[in-house]
This record gives sequence, C-alpha cells and structure tokens, in this order.
Amino acid sequence: MSDFYQTDIITTLHRLGRPGLERLESELQDFSRQRPLALVLPALYSEFEAEALRGIVEELKKVRYVKEIVLSLGRASDKEFQRAREFMSVIPYDVKIIHNEGRRVKEIYATLERNGLWAGEDGKGRSAWLAYGYIAASGRADVIALHDCDIVTYGREMLARLCYPVVNPNIDVVFCKGFYSRVTDRMHGRVTRLLVTPLIRALQKLIGGHEFLSFLDSFRYPLAGEFCMTTDLAWVNRIPWDWGLEIGMLSEVFRNYSTKRVCQVDISDNYEHKHQPLSNGTGNGGLTRMCVDICKTIFRVLAAEGVVFSDNFFKSLEVGYLRLAEDTMVKYEADATLNGLFYDRHGEAKAVETFVTAIQTASKVVLDNPMGTPLIPSWRRVSSGIPGILDMLRSAVDEDNR
Amino acid sequence: MENFKDLLIDPFRKFWAGLVDFLPNLLAMAVIAIGGVLLSWAFRLVLLKAFRALNFDAFCDRMGMTTMLRKANVWTTPSVLVANGVFGFFAVVFSMLGLSALRLQAIDSLSVQFFMYLPRAFSALVILIVGYMAAGFVARTVLIAAVNGGYNYAKLLAEGVRLLVIVMVLAMALEQLQIAPGIVVAAFSIIFGGIVIALAVAFGVGGIDAARKVINRGPEGKAGRDEIEHL
Repeated sequence: MSDFYQTDIITTLHRLGRPGLERLESELQDFSRQRPLALVLPALYSEFEAEALRGIVEELKKVRYVKEIVLSLGRASDKEFQRAREFMSVIPYDVKIIHNEGRRVKEIYATLERNGLWAGEDGKGRSAWLAYGYIAASGRADVIALHDCDIVTYGREMLARLCYPVVNPNIDVVFCKGFYSRVTDRMHGRVTRLLVTPLIRALQKLIGGHEFLSFLDSFRYPLAGEFCMTTDLAWVNRIPWDWGLEIGMLSEVFRNYSTKRVCQVDISDNYEHKHQPLSNGTGNGGLTRMCVDICKTIFRVLAAEGVVFSDNFFKSLEVGYLRLAEDTMVKYEADATLNGLFYDRHGEAKAVETFVTAIQTASKVVLDNPMGTPLIPSWRRVSSGIPGILDMLRSAVDEDNR
Repeated sequence: MENFKDLLIDPFRKFWAGLVDFLPNLLAMAVIAIGGVLLSWAFRLVLLKAFRALNFDAFCDRMGMTTMLRKANVWTTPSVLVANGVFGFFAVVFSMLGLSALRLQAIDSLSVQFFMYLPRAFSALVILIVGYMAAGFVARTVLIAAVNGGYNYAKLLAEGVRLLVIVMVLAMALEQLQIAPGIVVAAFSIIFGGIVIALAVAFGVGGIDAARKVINRGPEGKAGRDEIEHL
C-alpha cells in the first residue's frame, strides 16, 4: 500500500485499501456510455512475437467498457499486418489496426509532407499521433487511453485505474498519467530516477521556482508511457516524435490546460517491461539517444517559457546535476538496502556519467539550434491545412481493415 | 495445264501484291502508334514535372479532390492520376491515327466515330469538374444559410443538397456521353421527381401546421405586413 501524500500542483490518486476491480469496471461501463473510450496501442510487429502482447490481449478480451482498440502497427510487411489482424481478432469488440508501412497510410504521410506538415520519423510518437487522428476522424470516442505493448505484468486493473479519472464525469480531469514502481530483484527506471528528477531539481536550483519545473517534478513517473486523456486534448496538443514524447506531452498539457485538471494515478504495484541497454556501443543508441532527446525537450520547453540559456548556464547545470544525481544514488542505495534489493552502485554511477554526456550533447544542440523542436503539428492545424485529411485517414484505415 | 497452274498461283500472287501494297500502311501505323505512345509517355513525364513545380497535388489536397479519390479507394497522387489519364488519352488518339493509316474502311469509320466522340467526352469532363465545384459551393451556401437560420440539421441539409447536385451533374455527364440516354433521363426523372414529391408530402403531412401558416399568410399576410423596413 502506498502513502496518501498529495504533491503541490497536480492531483495524485493513490492505491488505498481494496479498490475492487469489479466495481471499477462496472462503473466504467456505465460512464463509458456518456464518454466512450478508445484504447491506443502503439506496437511494432516484433512485439507480436513476444509473450507480453499475448498476455495483454488475453486481458483485453475480458474488458467491456472499451469502445474500440486502435493498434498503430510499425515495421510490419503486408503479410505481417494480416497476421497481426488475425492475432487481434479474438478481441470481441472493434479493433482497428493502422498499417504504418502500408501503401495507403504511407500516402497519408506523403500528403502531409507535400503540404508542409511533417509528421516526423517512424516511432511511437508518430504512431500514437496518427491513432489520435483516426479516433478524431471516426468520432466514436471522447476519451483516449494509451499504453505500451511490452508490459509483462499487465493486468486489466491497470487499464481500469488509468481510465477511471478521465471517463468518470464527476472527476473533472482531462489528462491522467499512470505511475508505478519498477522493481524486480533491483530497481529499474534509471532514466527517471537518475536523470529526469535530478535534472529538474538542478534546473530549479539554477533558475529558481518555475511553474513548469514544479509541474514536471509533481509527477512520480514523468516518463511513464501510460496515460489517458480527452479526445479534445489529443486534437490540440502537439507532440514530439522522438524520445522526448512523454516530456513533450506533459509540456503541452501544462501549456493548454489548468493543472487542476491533471492527475496521476497509481496503476500497478509493480510494472515490468523490456529494458534498454545504456548504449549500443556507438554512443548514439540505447538509453543515450533517449536521454539526449529528453534533455533537449526540457531545455527547449524552458526556452519557450522565457528561460535564457548560455554556455555558462549549462556548465553550472552539469555540475549541479552531477552532485544531485550522486546524492540521489545514496538515497536509492539506502532504499535498496532496507528492502533487500540488489543495488549496482557501479552500474548506476556509469549511468550517471552517460547522462552527463547526454546533457552536454543536448545543451550543445539547443545552443546551436534553439528552434529545432521536432514537434508533430496538432490535428487542429493539420485539418485546417488539409480540410479532408481526416476523411482520407479514415478511408485508409478502414480500407486496410476491410 | 498452264491454265490450272495459273489458277493455283494467282491467289498467292494477288496476296503477295496486296501484302506489298499494304506493308507501307502497316509500317506507317506502327511508326505512328509506337512513336505516339513514346511521345505521350514523354509528355506524361513533362506534365508530372510541371505538376510538381506547380504543387498541383497540394492544391488538390486543399481543394478536397484528393479526399474524393481516397474515398473511392484510389491511392495514387492526383498528379500521377491526371498524367496517366493524359498519357492514356494521347496513346489511344495516336493508336487510332495509326489505325487510320491502314486505310481499311471499317477502321476508318471507327476512327471517325472516335474523333467525333471526343468533344462529347471533353464536355462531359468539363461538366463533371464544374459540377463538382458548383456542388461544393451550393452546399457551403446552404450550410451557412441554414446555420444562420438556426436550423438543427444544417449539415445534413447541406450534404443532401450536395448529393442532389452531384446526382444531377452525373446525369448530365452521362447524357452528354450518350451512355444509355433513355435510361439516364428516365432514372433521373424518377429519382429527382421522387425526391421532390417526398419533400412535398413530408412538408404537407409532417409539417401540416407550418404548411397551413404559409398558405394562410397569402393576401392577408401581405396586407398585415409591417411597412417599416430595416435600413
């Protein structure tokens, strides 16, 4: 059982007592008549060959309050797309698969590009964004939930808890982010524990009290990929297509909505998914690229908020971050010792070194090109530029799924 | 015996003479057809380049023409579609010209019919393009008027009007192409007449009170009308 502490800015919904999945699902079934829910699943075809997705599908078969699932499939041939359709056909409600590598969807991307609306490179951000567009086009859902397809410990309670605050009209929330701990015989989630949180606090020390930084710091797991939001929010938000997706999404929510309408919810006692290596040896892959993208997004959002960056600022930031990260390691070591977990001090220190390099790289990129935010335009802007784009997208997905 | 020999060889001789006479025609046909197809292909490439320079695809995207193609499950770009259409058209024209070089009576009359049909095909195309634009314009006007008039089903009304105009335009184009004109006119009369009768019946029966008000408004209504006019 967790504590019941509320952070300063956003609402935190804890796991208290025995919430009861049956009650949650039955209420969700009632509420979803007023606010129909669509579930977005960004997935690569390789995930269809892993065990995690099989478990997720088994759980989703039992869910009764989801109006439709929109699975945005990446890196799949036409044959693999058909196999994915067969795989998902056991789900007893509407499932639409967006074939990102298919002829029709590729033509949608080409249409956007020739009209000066670049949707970014292939990845989770672009896949999710396209799924939001399809949901807006079909007009069948008022609420969108999203989670990854590599969750090994997936249970349908996770989905119910994630959706409940937005689907329930009595809780006036437009965006809800999941949080959880990632623990096996050790603690995982290095990027959140040792990069994002110490970096935000180091920035707060240098800049002083800043609303966006306090907002980010209020999230227990700002990099969690699980969230639920209203379709309106998906319509107006611009999101990054790279690894800065989660932070970029939070920055847009912060920009467009009152923080009173944002919450985080404890969705699981434990969460396990695939782990990324620190680096793939080239210094450009693994967690390194992810960290650079995250840092760039944070810096660019702050620049847009009026924070002035300079070379000296970043030098101080690196030193400040390193010190805070080292202090954080000490705290986590104590936490691990108390709970009988293995703590790889050397591995964590190596991770922090990598993160310092990532901050240096990101700061250089931002100083060189402060405007280079790779944001995908909002659907509002896209449909204003190409009035028939949503109809085209709906035709493409519906034809692929026929 | 000599006579019999002639009888045997004569058809072959005549065939050969005919073939020798015909060969230049065949060659001319092949040159015109193949050259024409190559020329059409070159024109297609030029057209594609011109379309790219003019951002024709982006223009079609914004005008809603691409959406119309996608709804019909056509997924090539508008520029490629038009360029292929133009290529196909010129390829057929050159093939017909080539065939007419054969100087065969049956083919000559076919070529004449084909070239006589071209203006009709062209005017049908113009009718379709102008009609599509007019449908969009009328639907938009109805939508704005209905929204300003406070009607609840403004969008439905506008889409209904668009559908009617498109049905009318299609009937006009088919009539122009002379494709089963009798059936087209009959079908159009039945559909259009049916819609008008349905609307009249719906207004008369469903909106009986509104109809009575409109009828009663007649001369008294006019007499009692407020004379003050807005500036």
